[in-house]
Amino acid sequence: MMDIVYGFIFGFLSSVGFGIITNNPRRTLIPSGFVGAIAWIVYIVVGWYNHGLVMPNLMGSIVIGILGNLCAILFRSPVNIFYVPCLVSLVPGAILYDSMKNFALGKDSLAAYGFIKALTVGMSLAVGFIIAEVIANKIFPPVKRYMSQRENRKKND
Amino acid sequence: MGTISERDIVTLCGQVGTILLENGAETARVENTVEYIGRTIDLPVVCHATMTGIFVSSEKSAATRIFKVRVGDFNLQKVDEINTLSRQFSRHEITYDKLKKEVQKVDTETPDFSWVIKCIGAGLVSMPPMLLFKATWKDLFLGFFVGILGYVVSQYVGRHTTTAYIPVAMGSLVLSTVAHILGVTNIANDANYIIISALMPLVPGVPMTNSLREIIERNTISGAVRAIDAIMSGISIGGGVIIGQILVKTVFGG
Repeated sequence: MMDIVYGFIFGFLSSVGFGIITNNPRRTLIPSGFVGAIAWIVYIVVGWYNHGLVMPNLMGSIVIGILGNLCAILFRSPVNIFYVPCLVSLVPGAILYDSMKNFALGKDSLAAYGFIKALTVGMSLAVGFIIAEVIANKIFPPVKRYMSQRENRKKND
Repeated sequence: MGTISERDIVTLCGQVGTILLENGAETARVENTVEYIGRTIDLPVVCHATMTGIFVSSEKSAATRIFKVRVGDFNLQKVDEINTLSRQFSRHEITYDKLKKEVQKVDTETPDFSWVIKCIGAGLVSMPPMLLFKATWKDLFLGFFVGILGYVVSQYVGRHTTTAYIPVAMGSLVLSTVAHILGVTNIANDANYIIISALMPLVPGVPMTNSLREIIERNTISGAVRAIDAIMSGISIGGGVIIGQILVKTVFGG
């Protein structure tokens, strides 16, 4: 239980932190922090039941994809703005670094193993986004229509 | 809208595409936005974007322009502003001249976070991996500051050189030296955990994932370019870390 609380706090902080580095628009910082935190919790919880690399990352990126698309509609910004900071705690950066370190040290088989691992993580994240986008395209158009209707009404008043 | 020359429109479209691509938008979005703007002005344009160049061509005549792009750091504020502008323009809320002026403005003056806030952001990014390793709170605390150090060094070096990959290599060299010194002097429990989490702002994890996304969307060339870029910066980071490790080991004898 404590893991989830810490996970939420640090997932939030790291997404906001990366959002600051990449100069996200101010209005999207807090939402992307929440999306990142939820994805990080999903990653941890799925990791309890499945010790592989693929499932936790896949589920995490599906969550980011769906919530990111929702936020993109609500806050009127490109969806990439939500993907980039939320991804930062899931991406295979550390694994890629580890593999390249082994490569430079001459441990070829470890390097190849790490590289395949990095590719696997990256692939499962990318596939997760595709799945999420398909789902989002099916379920979010009503939300979009509602938003534009409300905006038109505001303009007419 | 007969007063605006086709060349002018094609140039503007190219500028919009360049800004989007340079600051971290994916190629599909760049092409869509540019073609959208063209359609709004009643001049259908074809846009083909790769990671190194943008080709914009008008469909009515032979006006074509090529723009060279050097993909740099993420600056998502610019992407968002261009997106807002193109939306307003396609709803005819702003005129062509206004759009042109605003695009120039976005290119030159966009608000950025101050140095101190960016450093704190880099520090915050350096924390979550520690949780996975079940590291001690002291290591977590140290990782925060070592992460800031690595980020500052890489940004500083980046301002003084145009050679690619040198900034990240220098950043990881300094960061690994400091982390290993902390490890040797027993201030930190495990230097490796600190290095991995402090590297988080530098490692090319997001470009790697984006490249695979582009490959899945069949933008194979951009995907491949991004992937090779990510692997190259991974190699330079790995090299930097190892040089730092060797330095510390020769000096302290570990």
